[in-house]
Amino acid sequence: MWRKSMIRGYICLVGRSAGLKEYLATCAVRPCSSQTSPSDIINARQAVDIWRKRFELNGVTEPDLSSQYIIAHVLGAKTIEGVEQVKLSAFLTQEETQRIWKLCKKRLARMPVQYVIEEWDFRDVTLKMKPPVFIPRPETEELVELVLTDLQRKTGSPLCLEVGCGSGAISLSLLKHLPQVRAIALDQSVEAVELTRENALRLGLQDRLKVYHVDVIKDAETVLKLCSNVAVLVSNPPYLFSEDMPSLEPEILRFEDHAALDGGKDGLKVIRAILTLAPQILSDDGCVYLEVDPRHPQLIRDWLEVNVEWLRLAETRHDITSRPRFCILRKDKANDRTLHLG
Amino acid sequence: LEYICPVSRFRNSLEMPTLWGGFSPGVSSVVKPPPGAPTRVAVAGKKDLVDLVHLEEDELEEQFVRGSGPGGQATNKTSNCVVLKHIPSGIVVKCHQTRSVDINRKRAREIMQQKLDVFYKGEHSDILVRKKEAEVKKQDKRRRVKENLERKRLFKEGLQAQNTPGKETV
Repeated sequence: MWRKSMIRGYICLVGRSAGLKEYLATCAVRPCSSQTSPSDIINARQAVDIWRKRFELNGVTEPDLSSQYIIAHVLGAKTIEGVEQVKLSAFLTQEETQRIWKLCKKRLARMPVQYVIEEWDFRDVTLKMKPPVFIPRPETEELVELVLTDLQRKTGSPLCLEVGCGSGAISLSLLKHLPQVRAIALDQSVEAVELTRENALRLGLQDRLKVYHVDVIKDAETVLKLCSNVAVLVSNPPYLFSEDMPSLEPEILRFEDHAALDGGKDGLKVIRAILTLAPQILSDDGCVYLEVDPRHPQLIRDWLEVNVEWLRLAETRHDITSRPRFCILRKDKANDRTLHLG
Repeated sequence: LEYICPVSRFRNSLEMPTLWGGFSPGVSSVVKPPPGAPTRVAVAGKKDLVDLVHLEEDELEEQFVRGSGPGGQATNKTSNCVVLKHIPSGIVVKCHQTRSVDINRKRAREIMQQKLDVFYKGEHSDILVRKKEAEVKKQDKRRRVKENLERKRLFKEGLQAQNTPGKETV
C-alpha cells in the first residue's frame, strides 16, 4: 500500500484532472474504511464520490443523495447544486474534511440525513431536527397547503390547533404564511414540545404559538380546557398499523420515536381520540384536517357513523403518489342536535 | 435543473418504479389565473410582471420520485425531485432545486410556464424579448467601458508626451 505522503502527492498532481477513478484503480481498491482518511487532501467532488461509494458498499439507502446533502451542508449550502462550481473543485480544508467524515460516519450507521445535519426544510421553513423527534414527511407539506386554503379565507384571528406537533413543522409553516393566525400545538413527547418551542424561537413565531405537553388520549380534559372555538384542527397523528412497524427501514426504527408512528392495531388509536374531542372544541364552521394511512378513510367514515354524531367525513384527498392520504372532516349540525359540553 | 425531451426517451430511462398520476386533486394549483385572463407571473429577478402562456393543470402530468415504498410515515427518504410533463407539447421539466417537494413543484411549474411560453410564442415570447434586451444592454455597457478605457489611455499618453524631457512645457 502506498504511503500517505505519496498518496497525497499523487492526488495533488492528478486530483483535479484525472480524478479519483484513476487513483482508486491504481490502488486496487478494497472496501475497507481505512481507504481514505480525513488527513488526505481532496476536493468536495471527490468527497461526494468517496462517500457515495462507501454508502453503496454498506447498503446505505440513497447513497448519492446522502453524500450530497451532508457535504453541501458542511460547505454551507442546502443542496449540492447550491455550491458554486469553484468551491466544488477547490481543496477542502482539514476542518471541512474532518467534519464531513464525522457526519458521514453517522449516516453509515443509518442515521437519517435530517438527524445527521440536524436540520431539514419543510415548505419554506428550515427546522432544527433532533432524534427521536419525528422527521416531517413531504406528504405533510400538502396537508399544510389544504389547511392554508381554508385558513386564509377566515376573517379575524383564527385559532389553529395541532395535535402531535413533533418538530412544529405544520404549525410553524402555517404561522409563517398567515400572520393573522394563532396556534396551539400539543405533543405527548417532551422532546417534541421542546423542539417545537426551539423552532418557533428560531423562526420568530413564538408570540403566536403556544406549545403544551399533553397526551390527547390520557389528558382529554386538559385539551378541552386549553382550546375552544378552534377554526382548524390539524394533525399528522401516528397512523401506522402496529403489525407494520417491524418492517420499517432502520432509519426509522432505530432513530425515530415509535410513539410518533404506531397508531395501534388498526392505526386509528390516536385518530379516534382526536375525532372524539373535535366536536367539543371546534367552532361551528371549524374543520379537522388529518393525514392518514391509505386504508383509513373508509374505516374513519364507518367509525364516525357509530361513535361521533356531530362530525362527518366531508372529503378525502390524495397525495402526490395518488394514495388517499388526507381526510377533511366538518361539524355536522343536522337534526337540530345541540352539543352538551362536559 | 434539467430540460428533458423527448418524453419517450425519458420514460425508458426511469429506474425506480414510479407512479404516473394525474395532478393530485388534493392540492390547489399554484398557478390559477382568473378565467380568460393571461397568466401574469413574477419572474425571479425581474421587476415587472410578465405575461406568459397559461398553464392548465389538466394538461400536466406530475411525478414525484420517491421509490416504491409505502410512503407517508412509513418512509423516510430525502429524494424530492419533481418531474413535470406537459402532455400536448411533450416538454418535461425536472426540478430538485430545494429540499422541499412543495417548493420544487411550484418552481417546476414556473419553469414549465417559461418554457411553454418560448415554445408557443417563439421569438415573440416575453422571456426571449427580455433576454435579448438584457444582452443588448450588456453589450452597450461593454462598449462604453471600452471607450472609457481608450479615452483614459489616450489622455495618459498625452500627459506623458508633455512631461518627456526635451519637450517644451506649457
